[in-house]
Amino acid sequence: MLNYALRRFLISIPIIVVATFLIFWAISLTGDPLQDLRQQPNMTTEQIERVRENRGLDDPFYVQYAVWVQQIPTGGFGEYMLSPRPIAPDLQRVVIHTLQLVIAAEVLAFIVAVALGTLSATRQYSVFDYSTTTLSFIGYSMPSFWFALILQVIVVQIFELTGVRLLPLANLSSPNPGTGLAFLWDRALHLVLPVLSLAIFSVASYSRYMRASMLEVVGSDYIRTARAKGLKEGTITRRHAMRNALIPTVTVAALSFGTLLSGAIVVETVFGLDGMGRYFIQMLGRRDPYPIMGWLVITSVVVLMFNLIADLVYGYLDPRIRYD
Amino acid sequence: MSDPLLSIRGLVTQFDTADGTVRAVDGVSYDVYPGETVGVVGESGSGKSVTVMSVLGLIPQPPGRVAAGEVLLEGRDLLKLSDEDFRDVRGKDVAMIFQDPMTSLNPVLTVGSQIAEAIEVHRSHLSEDAIRERVIELLELVGVPNASDRFDQYPHEYSGGMRQRAMIAMAIANEPKILIADEPTTALDVTIQAQVLNVLKTAQDETNAGTILITHDLGVIAEMADRVVVMYGGRVVETGTVDEIFHSPKHPYTLGLLSSLPRPDADLERLEPIPGQPPSLINLPSGCAFHPRCRLGNDRERCRFETPERIDLDAGRSTACHFYEEMDAEIERVQRATGAEISTEDEDV
Ligand SMILES: Nc1ncnc2c1ncn2[C@@H]1O[C@H](COP(=O)(O)OP(=O)(O)OP(=O)(O)O)[C@@H](O)[C@H]1O
Ligand code: SF4
Ligand SMILES: [Mg+2]
Repeated sequence: MLNYALRRFLISIPIIVVATFLIFWAISLTGDPLQDLRQQPNMTTEQIERVRENRGLDDPFYVQYAVWVQQIPTGGFGEYMLSPRPIAPDLQRVVIHTLQLVIAAEVLAFIVAVALGTLSATRQYSVFDYSTTTLSFIGYSMPSFWFALILQVIVVQIFELTGVRLLPLANLSSPNPGTGLAFLWDRALHLVLPVLSLAIFSVASYSRYMRASMLEVVGSDYIRTARAKGLKEGTITRRHAMRNALIPTVTVAALSFGTLLSGAIVVETVFGLDGMGRYFIQMLGRRDPYPIMGWLVITSVVVLMFNLIADLVYGYLDPRIRYD
Repeated sequence: MSDPLLSIRGLVTQFDTADGTVRAVDGVSYDVYPGETVGVVGESGSGKSVTVMSVLGLIPQPPGRVAAGEVLLEGRDLLKLSDEDFRDVRGKDVAMIFQDPMTSLNPVLTVGSQIAEAIEVHRSHLSEDAIRERVIELLELVGVPNASDRFDQYPHEYSGGMRQRAMIAMAIANEPKILIADEPTTALDVTIQAQVLNVLKTAQDETNAGTILITHDLGVIAEMADRVVVMYGGRVVETGTVDEIFHSPKHPYTLGLLSSLPRPDADLERLEPIPGQPPSLINLPSGCAFHPRCRLGNDRERCRFETPERIDLDAGRSTACHFYEEMDAEIERVQRATGAEISTEDEDV
């Protein structure tokens, strides 16, 4: 199995290379990265030319790409175009922040969706089933920034009515977050609203999958066999039905991780979080290809890792899958 | 005869569908005595499976509903039991073997654990080791080789025949009083069918369970059954011993079955198929449900408008035909048409 994981990872390297190459090319088409520099009043033409030469900006983009690839093993993701600061520390910071947000949202969404999907399938056509169906359609069609704004409005209203500051409305930490447990607690409180805003779409979508696959499983012959043994309905659902129904749901959830990352861009912007989404948009505005390239590599690796995790969980749930 | 072990009395099971109410089982009665095998035959859709699913309380509700009747197991009406008491009966007093062993086992659990579960749910006082030992014993009994290794294998590592053996092991795990096998060999390779039937016989000898064996295969009936129940359109149209049913049927439908299917024990030179289609259960024909297809009835007034009641001819021998007394002549006609000996005096089935 370890062998399999390793092989899967190696296979994904060419995919990352092709993806970064295409993106590098696309960015090179978008315009002059030195435009901002040119507009600064105290910049001389010589200074600008020096940057241009140092960075090899006159070379064709594939040469620039090759140079960029070569420096990855030694120099990490290199330096920003306009300042000699390394990119890696910034990237590391925003990646950690975003993973906190996205993983919390994914775990929450998965647990809630499995519960909702199972309950609505076992109570098909009940009031509960119809309500969750309606709510999930709303969750599915509502943009996450809108949901985020509604949550903020609710918290503000509660504050105005009762004077209780329920939850922080923005940022990742208070000005003096403290250390250790206090820091973690402060971070958790700050993440509540962003995680909810981000998770709602996934809850809606995963719970539909869970419901559908539960309904399919519940009608299958081996469930009838389980009933004929005299098992309780609860045992049948937990031991026989859910485990089978989870197989497709896990796959969907893991493959949707990329969607969740792109959803994070919006949520981070609304809540002013110092994460990958906001960072990406800032760098895009600067037309600086290097941080964007670094960002892209990290994102690809994260998404591929989750696909791999999905594969392994899939194999754990379904004994018919063999890794060889 | 002693008292029946299981007695199905006037069972009515309906399904609500978009086209109307389907009366899948419409007043079915038959008995099962200790140690005997009752074969149930009838065309597809005649209500054979729905009857036994009702006995086990496994009709999905909705759309299904057991609307009337009794299922007496040693005198106790199962249909009046609470959900909890009924669960106690399932898998312990009454156990079932299903048609398709490929889909009847849970693909994500080991075969051993699925059989173990059947024991555990009814005998929670047994230790895990004792249950495992018992499961291995059962697997050996039904002829699964290397039983202790195979305990931990998953269904996809078993062949079809092995899976059906495992299903039989599961069904007899608690030594049920009644064993129901719904077309246990239909989904299997012809070469394996005989083996699985032998296993079923062994299992039955082991438990001395009264057995209901549903099948389309008259050869299986001839080999396995003591008595036969013939169903048509959700009703029982004839009952009798295997000899009686095979050699002096008292219902034209039974005769039709005998002369329309190849049989191992009688050389039919020509088959005489039953004309027409099985009836719609939403709109059963008036009178005798078989009348649109019945040569003996020949559209007689009584057949078209008067529903024939079941007439008891003898203990365990009954028919639901107005003109059963004309059956001797009808058998002769069919014998001439098919060139087969149906009515033999000194048969040995
Ligand atoms: N869940 C259901 N919903 C609606 N109708 C059903 C359902 N289950 C069974 N029926 C109806 O009951 C009728 C009898 O079905 P049953 O399965 O008992 O037939 P059978 O005699 O076992 O046939 P086969 O030989 O094909 O297994 C069928 O015609 C079908 O229309
Ligand atoms: S009652 Fe009439 S139609 Fe029905 S089986 Fe007998 S002869 Fe045929
Ligand atoms: Mg059937």
